[in-house]
Amino acid sequence: MRFVAETRHQAGGNAGCPPGIISEVTITSEIRDRRPSGRGPLRGKVTSLEVLCLLLVLALVLQDWLIGVLDAPQLRTASTVFVAVCVQAMPFLVFGVLISGAIAAFVPASALRRLLPKKTALAVPVAGLAGVALPGCECASVPVARRLMQQGVPPAVALSFLLAAPAVNPIVLVATAVAFRDAPMMVPARFVGSLLTAVVMGWLWTRFGKAEWIAERALRKFEEKEGVSRWTVFTETARHDLVEAGGFLVLGGVFAAAFNVLVPTAWMETLGAQIVLGVVVMAFLAVILALCSEADAFVAVSMTALPLLPRLVFLVVGPAVDVKLFALQAGTFGKSFALRFAPATFVVAIASALVAGVVFL
Amino acid sequence: MRRETQNILLILLGGALLKLSFTDMYLRYVKAGLQPLLIAAGAVMILLAGLAIVRDLRSPKEAEEAHGDHEHRSSRSPWMLLLPVLAVFLIAPPALGADTVNRSDRNAAQESKSLNGFAALPEGAVIPLSLGEFVTRTAWDDSGSLDNRVVKLTGFVVRKNDSTYVARLAISCCAADASPIKVRMTGAGFDSMPTDQWVEVTGKVVPGSATKETAYVPTFTVAEIAPVATPVDTYES
Repeated sequence: MRFVAETRHQAGGNAGCPPGIISEVTITSEIRDRRPSGRGPLRGKVTSLEVLCLLLVLALVLQDWLIGVLDAPQLRTASTVFVAVCVQAMPFLVFGVLISGAIAAFVPASALRRLLPKKTALAVPVAGLAGVALPGCECASVPVARRLMQQGVPPAVALSFLLAAPAVNPIVLVATAVAFRDAPMMVPARFVGSLLTAVVMGWLWTRFGKAEWIAERALRKFEEKEGVSRWTVFTETARHDLVEAGGFLVLGGVFAAAFNVLVPTAWMETLGAQIVLGVVVMAFLAVILALCSEADAFVAVSMTALPLLPRLVFLVVGPAVDVKLFALQAGTFGKSFALRFAPATFVVAIASALVAGVVFL
Repeated sequence: MRRETQNILLILLGGALLKLSFTDMYLRYVKAGLQPLLIAAGAVMILLAGLAIVRDLRSPKEAEEAHGDHEHRSSRSPWMLLLPVLAVFLIAPPALGADTVNRSDRNAAQESKSLNGFAALPEGAVIPLSLGEFVTRTAWDDSGSLDNRVVKLTGFVVRKNDSTYVARLAISCCAADASPIKVRMTGAGFDSMPTDQWVEVTGKVVPGSATKETAYVPTFTVAEIAPVATPVDTYES
């Protein structure tokens, strides 16, 4: 058994420190070397295991109090929406990390390079179209895009895939067709609008993007280790991605639940009846509601007070940028990436949706 | 965060998903069709964490180096995984109810116009109808097939301003996209029912009450009202 004290930097770490202070200290070989070998747990150190136990015991002890606090109708609604967003998204995230793990373990970087056109400008639309093959919602595509980058795919290409996959795959298109039975042109409009968003963002990144915006950890090359089986690489990568991305997904769920309760939806629905205002309102609504891309068509179809164009904007913006996705991206690629990428995507998605809307609707 | 703690969190979260899907609790949050996916996701989580634990016990160093990036940074995000675990095991938030209905002025069901017209209503003295079908018919069926027919509706009690409604929520994917279906009640008997109480109401529609002015919320004359147990799946689709 391996014991590493995480709070090594807090000499004689105190037992009562809150979880926020516990930060992980790198397990570098230097520290590992200093670790006294053959000893049991280091006395007087608090690790995340103890913190977890403490939190669980506290939660159990305070259970009745917690339930009492959450008894207000709004808080009850918010907590239900929070659990719903997490529960709904988890299977898709698991699916995404399994694919990510499989790419890391079984797809050599050279194979990916052979598959994609050499020129990034050409590879971007190809990657966008490849999104058709990932049947999931947006949570699945973030870990996959990151793994593609690590395997040497140019960031612009991986990002194009990231934006296209949740919106152009067959499941989402069928859902859209079912929801908009009365307006079948919404399906090609959505497909083109989303693909356009992905391709334009890919090209913009090729032209203006800087590698240093993406956190170094996301781009770090995957090293082939001698003597480690592919199965181990697969499961360890999937586990690691799941733990990391899962945390941010939950954070996104907290935001989505808060907005769901705090933003007066009824008021926004009335406001949206004007076409220009409608486009803006629906774009923001798409960001803060953070609906799964397989469900958003059903919500959009129910907003009958609005013309089709604002609803198309809602469908194109939602899978490309929303609070849940922003949290996931910030966690995966770093804050300085997400702060630039998300607003740019927001603008490009609105423009693409308007173009697609003018052509198809 | 240590690997060991991450693994425990993953097992807890996987366990929470399994608990939801094996106890019908998941129907409070998502649609029935997601159950197999939830079970698979929970099982994969537990499996991945279990494999990591076994690997650590056997040879700590190899497992740590297996995935290319060592965690060379402070990562606090996995702590967030504790929130849904606690929410599921300790709080178990209830299915959405009156509060959500009152957040929107829409009446969802009338918006999905039936494509092939309406099938004839079944014979019988009392016709049980879902709220969705009832509202759609009152809004779109011009033949007046519901007039003077006794209908039985099931839903929960909602109060807004001076009106009392019997309502349900429709979800298409998860509770985050819930939209309300409601019917205004007139007559007597519902004043004693607390908000959010599930009821069965029998009565007749007030013909022509679902108009644009009423936001397509039909009015229903209550003949009988009785409290019933909360159904397993509270949502309509």
